[in-house]
Amino acid sequence: MIEFQLNVDARLLQSLLPEIEKTFAQSYKNKRHLFKCPITDDEDLIHAWEQGLADDSLEDRLALAKIFKSPKFKYGYVELEESDAEAALRSLTELRLSLRENALSEVRDSELESGNLSLSRRQSSVKVAYFTYLILAEIQESLLASE
Amino acid sequence: MSFSSLPVPVEVEQTKSESSLEKPWKVIVLNDPVNLMNYVVMVFRKVFGYEEAKATKHMREVHELGKSVLWVGEREQAENFAYQLQRWRLQTILEEDD
Repeated sequence: MIEFQLNVDARLLQSLLPEIEKTFAQSYKNKRHLFKCPITDDEDLIHAWEQGLADDSLEDRLALAKIFKSPKFKYGYVELEESDAEAALRSLTELRLSLRENALSEVRDSELESGNLSLSRRQSSVKVAYFTYLILAEIQESLLASE
Repeated sequence: MSFSSLPVPVEVEQTKSESSLEKPWKVIVLNDPVNLMNYVVMVFRKVFGYEEAKATKHMREVHELGKSVLWVGEREQAENFAYQLQRWRLQTILEEDD
């Protein structure tokens, strides 16, 4: 079992839970270019490719859902089986990509990469999305550290 | 099972040109601002079996140059690698090696 405590205030985390839930739902609809087959001249391959990745994605989401559904998560406590770690890592990436393409679409790549994001001038929806983005990254970092 | 029960092989129409199958293909990962550096290194190690140093070198290429050629070789294996990389949500393309 992998267990760790997020370095985030529980009240802040709880205020972001609706955004995490929304992002989780939104990412499912946003498969798009992530699952784009790089071979374009084989219809059968394209179909198998995209369907296969979509099926894999569903399994990954189940692993991540276990973290979010835990009653301890709202207090910043993360626990999951080691066998679910890789799937959860992939799904966390999917959620962060979804945030980047939607709520954080106005943020420049360089700002996201460097973390030098001036929040004072941003709308509250961008601030909420960015804090959610950071929390998802922290879960990923901790999972990577446990690998 | 007796051999007589095996299906008779039939000639399948060739859908890919021989030249495209024989040419080496490059597996290329593109940069994105989202994925963590240590995540990318971990993926390269898992997918290609690279040592930490080699995986890190490729990660830096992706980060600094915008892309890195991770592997060059036979098309079917290249497709397999690309599929695995996309499963890890890394932007991956394939190109014929000229």
